[in-house]
Amino acid sequence: MPLLINRTVAEDNWLTVDKPTELPAGNILVPLEDYLEATEAFSAHSGKVAVEVTPDDDITPLLAEPNRFELIAIHFPDFSEGRGFSFARLLRRAGYTGQLRATGYVTRDRLGYMQRCGFNAFDIPDEHYQTDDVQAFDEITVHYQ
Amino acid sequence: MYQYTEKDQQLVNDRVEQYRDQTHRYLDKKIPEDDFRPLRLMNGLYIQRHAPMLRVAIPYGMLSSTQMRKLAHIARTYDKGYGHFTTRTNIQYNWPQLEDVPDILAELASVQMHAIQTSGNCIRNTTTDPLAGVTPDEIEDPRPWCEAIRQWSTLHPEFAYLPRKFKIAVTASPIDRAASQIHDIGVHLVKNSAGETGFEILVGGGLGRTPHLGQQIHPFLEKKHLLSYLEAILRVYNLLGRRDKKYMARIKILVNKIGIEAFKEKVEAEWQAIKNSDLELPNAEIERLQSHFQPHAYQARASEDLTLEAQLNTDPAFNTWYKKNTAEHKQPGYRVVYLSLKSFSRPAGDISDQQMEAIADLADQYSFGEIRATFNQNLVLADIEQKDLYALWKALVTLDLAKPNIGTLTDMIVCPGYDFCSLADASTLDIADQINARFDDLDYLYDLGDIHLNMSGCLNACGHHHTGHIGIMGVDNKGEFYYQIRLGGSASEEAKLGTALGRGYPADKIADILEAILNTYVENRLEGEPFIKTVDRIGIKPFKENANAITH
Ligand code: HEM
Ligand code: SF4
Repeated sequence: MPLLINRTVAEDNWLTVDKPTELPAGNILVPLEDYLEATEAFSAHSGKVAVEVTPDDDITPLLAEPNRFELIAIHFPDFSEGRGFSFARLLRRAGYTGQLRATGYVTRDRLGYMQRCGFNAFDIPDEHYQTDDVQAFDEITVHYQ
Repeated sequence: MYQYTEKDQQLVNDRVEQYRDQTHRYLDKKIPEDDFRPLRLMNGLYIQRHAPMLRVAIPYGMLSSTQMRKLAHIARTYDKGYGHFTTRTNIQYNWPQLEDVPDILAELASVQMHAIQTSGNCIRNTTTDPLAGVTPDEIEDPRPWCEAIRQWSTLHPEFAYLPRKFKIAVTASPIDRAASQIHDIGVHLVKNSAGETGFEILVGGGLGRTPHLGQQIHPFLEKKHLLSYLEAILRVYNLLGRRDKKYMARIKILVNKIGIEAFKEKVEAEWQAIKNSDLELPNAEIERLQSHFQPHAYQARASEDLTLEAQLNTDPAFNTWYKKNTAEHKQPGYRVVYLSLKSFSRPAGDISDQQMEAIADLADQYSFGEIRATFNQNLVLADIEQKDLYALWKALVTLDLAKPNIGTLTDMIVCPGYDFCSLADASTLDIADQINARFDDLDYLYDLGDIHLNMSGCLNACGHHHTGHIGIMGVDNKGEFYYQIRLGGSASEEAKLGTALGRGYPADKIADILEAILNTYVENRLEGEPFIKTVDRIGIKPFKENANAITH
């Protein structure tokens, strides 16, 4: 899973935890839904906690205090899903300054749009990754919005 | 007409190269079929029954003669020598090669054109009144606002993966010539009681499987807020529109599900957050856009010409064409001229490369080098001096573009249907031929007056059958082509959805059924009463009885 942060390949310092029953040590990325259900349990965790948003989630609770998190991930289950773009804009508008990471079906041809909506990190699946993917950010050099 | 700035040009150039690269990577099998699909769609490329189909954007229907020549060149070089004007004032090519599309896009970019967002689940080409800027009944020219919307919506990073496609139409006159009520958003320039102009905003119109007319979401929006308000609507839709079923995904379904009031509340809440952002249109930008659409250098004494009067009196064929195919212009001594793309020899909206070249020449000679497309799939030369009408008419007759049938039964909207479209349930082109063959007596058509006949090859409604005074929709009846007929629809300022007469009629009976319907009208109409009003007054029952008598 190559991870691009600010356009360079970076080490992933977060462990994605799908079923957060037993938490591993270190910094973890957990589903927003689970986090909201058991916020207190997570606050006892020794490492840092980040959340991953899926398209059906209501992100209102996040918008109140987004900078509680150093990392917020937004999941794209497939190529046609577009809610994550609006989530990203809303989070940045709410003042979120941390890492905003696109996960799931992240491919070269959406990187430019994602960046312009506020994403700065991209978790690109191996099978989609090409080393020249970073060029995609500069394919369109001007924009209206 | 709008002229690209360096930035506008850079954007379309970049886009061509980006798409060229995507096409190469697709052909090299580096992009899977499924992922390439939305990419090609956002550049106007469908894969159809026989071949790819490329849809080129004609922003708010405006074309320069140079652009028209380029469209002709593309038809000749990359296609089979013709193109098809659509109900969204775009042009489609039915036979391009997928590998050629990047080159076609580069050709388009060289004349300030593109195919960006002409399909796919994004904001499509903004449309407007084909008589914008020249009609006496408008409040102000809507085109600068269309251009503002074009720019805001072009490659908008947040709205490229909407639940479904999104269409916006702008009008500025009490007469709606842009079918604005069947658009996802209708923007109407209106005057308030203080005499200021602003926008009435409608939302949730659309046809397809579950047709709806737009509902008012804002009665009077200050002009500078246009883009922030649109953005608020789009954001709410992007977040809340259904994505599980294609047929439930248009904004009309969302608006009707939660109700216009609840929808409006959400939009207003979002709008408050962005209203005073950089989406606010500064006066300087509005003026810059308006400066591109200034009135032409009209001849002040054009109306003093006496030749027109004489020609109208001596040449009845010219006189008929003048009455049917020209309209009033705000400048005395000028007329608006419709070019009928409904000659009986070609499918509605089709045009050959030679016709395109010739129209470009005529536009240069007589109409300040500009051409417009209409949603009824015709073209307009908007600024013809009355002394030139006769010569223009003669030229149009030779080109087979002067059929005096604008607004009549044979000025049909027809989608491509089974012959080209892989979604079709039934053919449409042969039915149009059948209708044209039966109703070829122009005097009879004139006696019938204004009748809009709209035809689609399936329930997707590309041919606007719900809003035809007479609407025909193809259905598949156990492998046979059948046609459902609707009456009473309209896309005007009094927009309505038609009512179906029954389940459907066999293909070979359509002209007979229409004849029965038209006879019912003629028998029942009051003095001077148009078809649509008679249908309103007497209801569909008598029409249905007479139509059914044919098949029983
Ligand atoms: C031949 C290829 C075509 C295909 C595959 C196609 C497909 C579709 C589909 C699936 C819809 C329904 C969308 C929805 O309700 O969400 C639709 C709507 C529409 N199409 Fe097409 N179409 C084609 C050609 C055309 C042409 C040639 C025109 C113009 C003459 C056209 C104009 C429209 C319009 C105006 C609508 C919107 C109706 C509405 O508001 O729901 N399409 N098309
Ligand atoms: S109405 Fe149906 S048949 Fe006609 S173009 Fe649209 S999808 Fe194809």
